[in-house]
Amino acid sequence: MNWLSRFVSGARPELPAAAAEKIARWQQGERTDPALPHFESRYVVVNTEATGLDLEKDRLLAVAAIAIEGLSLKPANALYRPLDDDPAEALADLLDFAGHAPWVVFNASFNRKLLERVFEARCDFEPEATWMDLQWLMPGLYPELHTDQVRLADWMDAFGVETFQRHHALGDAYAIAQLLMAALGRAHATGAINARSLIEIERSRRWSRRAV
Amino acid sequence: MNTQAAEMLQGASLDFLRRHSPFDRMEPDALSFMAERLVLVFHARDSVILSPEMGQVGHLHIVQRGKVLARQVGSVSVTEYSAMTMGPGECFPIGAISAHRPSTNTYIAVEDSFCFQLAAEDFMQLMEMSPVFHLFCTKYIASLLNQSREQLQSQFAQRAAEQQTMTTPLGQLINREPVHVAPEVSSRQALEHMAQHRVGCLVIADAEQRPVGIITQSDLLERVILAGFDLERPVTELMTGAPHMLSSSASAYDAALEMATHGVRHLLVLDGDRRLKGVVSERDLFSLQRIGLRQIRAGIENAEDLETMQQASRDIRQLALNLIAQGIGSEQLTQFISALNDALTRRLIELQLERHEMQELDFCWLAFGSEGRHEQTLSTDQDNGIIFSVPEGADPDALKQRILTFARAVNEDLAACGFPLCKGNIMASNPDLCLTLGQWKQRFATWINTPDPQALLNATIFFDFRSLYGDELRSDQLRTFLLNRARDNSAFQRMLAGNALTAQPPLGRIRDFITDDDPVQPGTIDLKKFGARLFVDAARILSLRTGVPASSTVERLRQAGGKLGIAAEETSAVIEGFNFIQLLRLRSQHLDTEHDAPGDNRVNPERLNELDRRILKEAFRQARKLQSRLKLDYQL
Repeated sequence: MNWLSRFVSGARPELPAAAAEKIARWQQGERTDPALPHFESRYVVVNTEATGLDLEKDRLLAVAAIAIEGLSLKPANALYRPLDDDPAEALADLLDFAGHAPWVVFNASFNRKLLERVFEARCDFEPEATWMDLQWLMPGLYPELHTDQVRLADWMDAFGVETFQRHHALGDAYAIAQLLMAALGRAHATGAINARSLIEIERSRRWSRRAV
Repeated sequence: MNTQAAEMLQGASLDFLRRHSPFDRMEPDALSFMAERLVLVFHARDSVILSPEMGQVGHLHIVQRGKVLARQVGSVSVTEYSAMTMGPGECFPIGAISAHRPSTNTYIAVEDSFCFQLAAEDFMQLMEMSPVFHLFCTKYIASLLNQSREQLQSQFAQRAAEQQTMTTPLGQLINREPVHVAPEVSSRQALEHMAQHRVGCLVIADAEQRPVGIITQSDLLERVILAGFDLERPVTELMTGAPHMLSSSASAYDAALEMATHGVRHLLVLDGDRRLKGVVSERDLFSLQRIGLRQIRAGIENAEDLETMQQASRDIRQLALNLIAQGIGSEQLTQFISALNDALTRRLIELQLERHEMQELDFCWLAFGSEGRHEQTLSTDQDNGIIFSVPEGADPDALKQRILTFARAVNEDLAACGFPLCKGNIMASNPDLCLTLGQWKQRFATWINTPDPQALLNATIFFDFRSLYGDELRSDQLRTFLLNRARDNSAFQRMLAGNALTAQPPLGRIRDFITDDDPVQPGTIDLKKFGARLFVDAARILSLRTGVPASSTVERLRQAGGKLGIAAEETSAVIEGFNFIQLLRLRSQHLDTEHDAPGDNRVNPERLNELDRRILKEAFRQARKLQSRLKLDYQL
């Protein structure tokens, strides 16, 4: 959030009180310790569903999130919010659910950017979360399966992962969450024991790709 | 969070469950109960999901995707598989989770796999709410029990016994600190060190205890004596460099293979830091193989002295303990012990025969009691006797004296081999039990005709006889006589039945079991007196009544049951009950030996797991059934 946007916030629609409170609470929250081992950590898969894949033209339809806590997935530990009736409320709920655990997406260049834009537009604030992108992490952890930034469908094929509905915010999140568990399993086995080392793997991969 | 998301994800679990048996047949409310509680977990390839060391099982696992290998721990299989892979929809470990005990198998993900977990409490609740699931689990457990009771062919047991010993990790074989010297010492010093410690093999290791070479006695002739080697030169010039080494977790098999491949007689064993831990020689491996069934047998048959026999007797015990530890069934195990003890006794008799110049004599060595029934457990004293015949013109008294002297020697040898002398003097060296066929018949007839309490007690010991050595014709004649006399005398049978019914299965009306008030061991049940004996006594009566010549309880029940027209399933249920009690007896003796307490037959039902307790209760019910049959048949 920059001071200018706060300055001009009067120009935007007022936030509902409940959403404002959730956002405020999030802003005061503390980031989780990236040095905790995976089995003691919470990761949150965050996913979006939009009218298309064009950041400039397309509109966000729904957000979904699934938490992986203690390396396991409990069905009750999930969130799904369509944006139609009250976008700010839905976004605030996402903040509330995801908290300050690492936000794990597949294809950050679309999902993360889209979310940040919508947060900015609807809530007048851009959450500074710890982001992780499985599209970059997976080839680093499972190079024997794919070496490039392939599509979600390719990774689902590689692990035989299925979901109840593709191209649905929660449906895809379910698939991504299973891939995240596989990623954490491999990470643990190869000595990347916490969120910090995963972030490092992603960063160095992005760096080396850029160098090529 | 929000219910919409939870419902969708539970829907995904439901879709999965509905595609797999037995969930596809399950009641809708039970299915949603499951879907609400299932937790998805990932298991990386080659990781252990569950093992006996993890203690009481906390979750039921259902494979969602991937492959899981179930492997038996120990090398004698309890079930018919030793390793089994499971795919999507299969669950484990149903037996262990129902019995609230640790898993007997180790489960390993052989591929990157996902499993659903259901907490143990939820599993129990699901069993209660879903008849379909309950039936599935019960059937599954029943099939496990059947498998565990399945006869292991003696050949299989034999092979397994050998495998067991050869899979021992080398670390366990090392029984002394390795003898080693530093590379800097002279050859003379090294050889002196070797002589001083009386070892055939010396290791040269650096300050970090990392081996650099080896010298063995067999090297010395060529390298030192014939070559005229200067002993003041450093040991490094004498030694064989780059010695053969294995880690202490490698098995005896690996060592045997390594020795055979490289033609060496010694191997160095290293610890996790690759430091010298010990030396394993070819001889160590040989002595290991001795504990296999075939080796014990060969050892007994070739033994020429008492010391070798004593070793064989210890080996039999060790083998039995190994097999119990690996969960072999009681019927096979007792037969097994019995077969080896028979061989041992026969060889002892042969050795004494040579010393006593008895070759020309016609006699038959009998075993009584549990030995006669092939049901020896690990703590059995000797019960034996002799039938002899007097050749024409011989002096019967002088002959009997000769036989008694010989019999005493055998009794003493048996005692030296771990079969204590019988406190009641039921031994071949007792003049009352060293008789001619005519005298034995006379004795049996007296007991049958005047069944006073002592006669009835005698019947329970002596009527379970079989021939162990010598002329079997004599014991067969005695058996025919006994069966004829007893079959015709229903008054005697009735007395015997009345006697058998004085002990009752310890089943309580309110509590599951009636236990002893014994101040030393409160809360326990004597499984010999109030367990095994109930079956043994009833089987004896049934065999006398139907003229079955077999002496083992299981065979008696089987054959007499057939003759009496008892349904085969009913008979096998009784036999299973008996076998289970025998197994518990063996197990308690096994545990006792480990704690160094005298073997006894007591079990504390509170300390059994749920599953064993249920089977024990069923076993007692079978004993009660057998007893009610006696009551009915003899109007008692």
